[in-house]
Amino acid sequence: MNQSRDALVRFSQASLGYGQRPVLTGVDLALGSGDCLGVLGPNGAGKSTILKTILGLIPPMKGKVERRGSSVGSLRFGYVPQKEKLDAIYPLTGWEVAEMGTYRRFELMQTLRRKTRTEFVSQCLKDCGVQDLADRRYSDLSGGQRQRVLIARALAAEPELLILDEPLAGIDVPTQKALLALFQEFKDRRGLTLLMVSHRLQAERDLFTHIAWVENGRVEYGPSAEMLRSHHISKSFGDES
Amino acid sequence: MSQFLAMLSPNFLLHHALYGSVVVGFVCPLVGVYFVLRRLVFWGVALPQVSAAGIAFAFMLQGLGLVLSAGGESSEKHVAILGAVVFTLAAIAVLTWLEQRAAGLAEGRVGVLYALAAAASILFVAWNAQGETEMLSLLKGEILTISESDFHWMINVLLTVCASMFLFQREFLLVSYDRDMAVTLGRSVAFWDGLLYLLIGVTISLGVMTVGPLVIFGLLAVPPMIALPWAKGMRSLSILSSLTGGFSAFIGFYFSYRFDLPLGPVIVVALCAVGGLSTLIHLLIPSRTR
Repeated sequence: MNQSRDALVRFSQASLGYGQRPVLTGVDLALGSGDCLGVLGPNGAGKSTILKTILGLIPPMKGKVERRGSSVGSLRFGYVPQKEKLDAIYPLTGWEVAEMGTYRRFELMQTLRRKTRTEFVSQCLKDCGVQDLADRRYSDLSGGQRQRVLIARALAAEPELLILDEPLAGIDVPTQKALLALFQEFKDRRGLTLLMVSHRLQAERDLFTHIAWVENGRVEYGPSAEMLRSHHISKSFGDES
Repeated sequence: MSQFLAMLSPNFLLHHALYGSVVVGFVCPLVGVYFVLRRLVFWGVALPQVSAAGIAFAFMLQGLGLVLSAGGESSEKHVAILGAVVFTLAAIAVLTWLEQRAAGLAEGRVGVLYALAAAASILFVAWNAQGETEMLSLLKGEILTISESDFHWMINVLLTVCASMFLFQREFLLVSYDRDMAVTLGRSVAFWDGLLYLLIGVTISLGVMTVGPLVIFGLLAVPPMIALPWAKGMRSLSILSSLTGGFSAFIGFYFSYRFDLPLGPVIVVALCAVGGLSTLIHLLIPSRTR
């Protein structure tokens, strides 16, 4: 499916990097609708570079990156950054953080539709099991609770592609399991396409349909079952895979 | 008490200074909130000084006969405001450009800018052929001699800034809090940053002309710091900061008038007193009941 013409994101012989410095070269991968792609590799290998390119934060240096078959694209992303990236000094409530997902367009009339928006954001918080945290200060929440609020924010963007940057990092095992169940539900019941960046492969492996392995400036990509049989991935993760 | 009532009278002789200070007190914290949240508090020290240098530069050019204005005190003040706005926006553009390129230490760059602006202000005043006395009073903030029409124009501009800060709060918050998210939602970070900086530049420039650079720094930094522990959400932070700034400016004006003290320093002392009281109350009230 992922090589089909209706891929949501497709890299064709792309070189990715910052300024004049390429981090990854010859990247070929496609993310099809309904797929769950795990972007894996050691720290500093260039996983975040792929993520930033997909999000449009940095342009490809060479080659093509197409979103929904067009170079411009109108693909709707739901983005869950690493929770530590967001400054805790902001006195935002859980609801205010989740509401940011709806800030897609400037709509002066939006205040008139406030009730509809309120219901929608509340539903997103409820779907992530954090409706009771709406009035709590985001900076007072635990790591797992913050992650759920950020996922609710991503859902509020009504995404076709949900991008998660190390969503299980620094979270206890029961919460990890609960979050993975949530991702599985997004995938199975909503048909949401997922891309998850991770530097480990313990709990997530059953979720991935495809894996992009990033190491030494190259990206190796394929269906997860095939990739997990690869000797160097097994070696990198030891007994985990 | 009679002096307090006299202040509230519509015929109060210093009504320009009173209304101007209070409006600046309400509006400055609204932009100051973003200095504090973006951890750019020291911009609040440097930019008012840059603005003052712009005023001094404009007056120096007029003194040297290099700027043609229609004449009159009012026209001179328009040129001074223009100088303040141009200098402030140019400084913001340079700081932002250097910030994006991560050239050197951020605090160091702001420190250099402050030192340069302070030195330039003194030199521009020294080179002013029209004398230093009026110039120095303008640099400290001088609203008493402003004309009625200019005063209303200034108040209207500041109220427009105030309305914009609330109208575009979502956009300013998004680009300040999570720039990557803003890009993924298709928002132009450069545009909203630019608009925010324009509003900041205009507020600081008008504020420096009204109450001087020292007070402007106080009004940018202190009210958001006072409001931050109490705020539950962005809107409440903005409203609490604005009320704290306006209230402190009013109280400061009263004590300045009552005891014949210079207005600027008294407003800063009033701000700090409110801050001290707020911290004390915050420490005494258990967090569960807040």
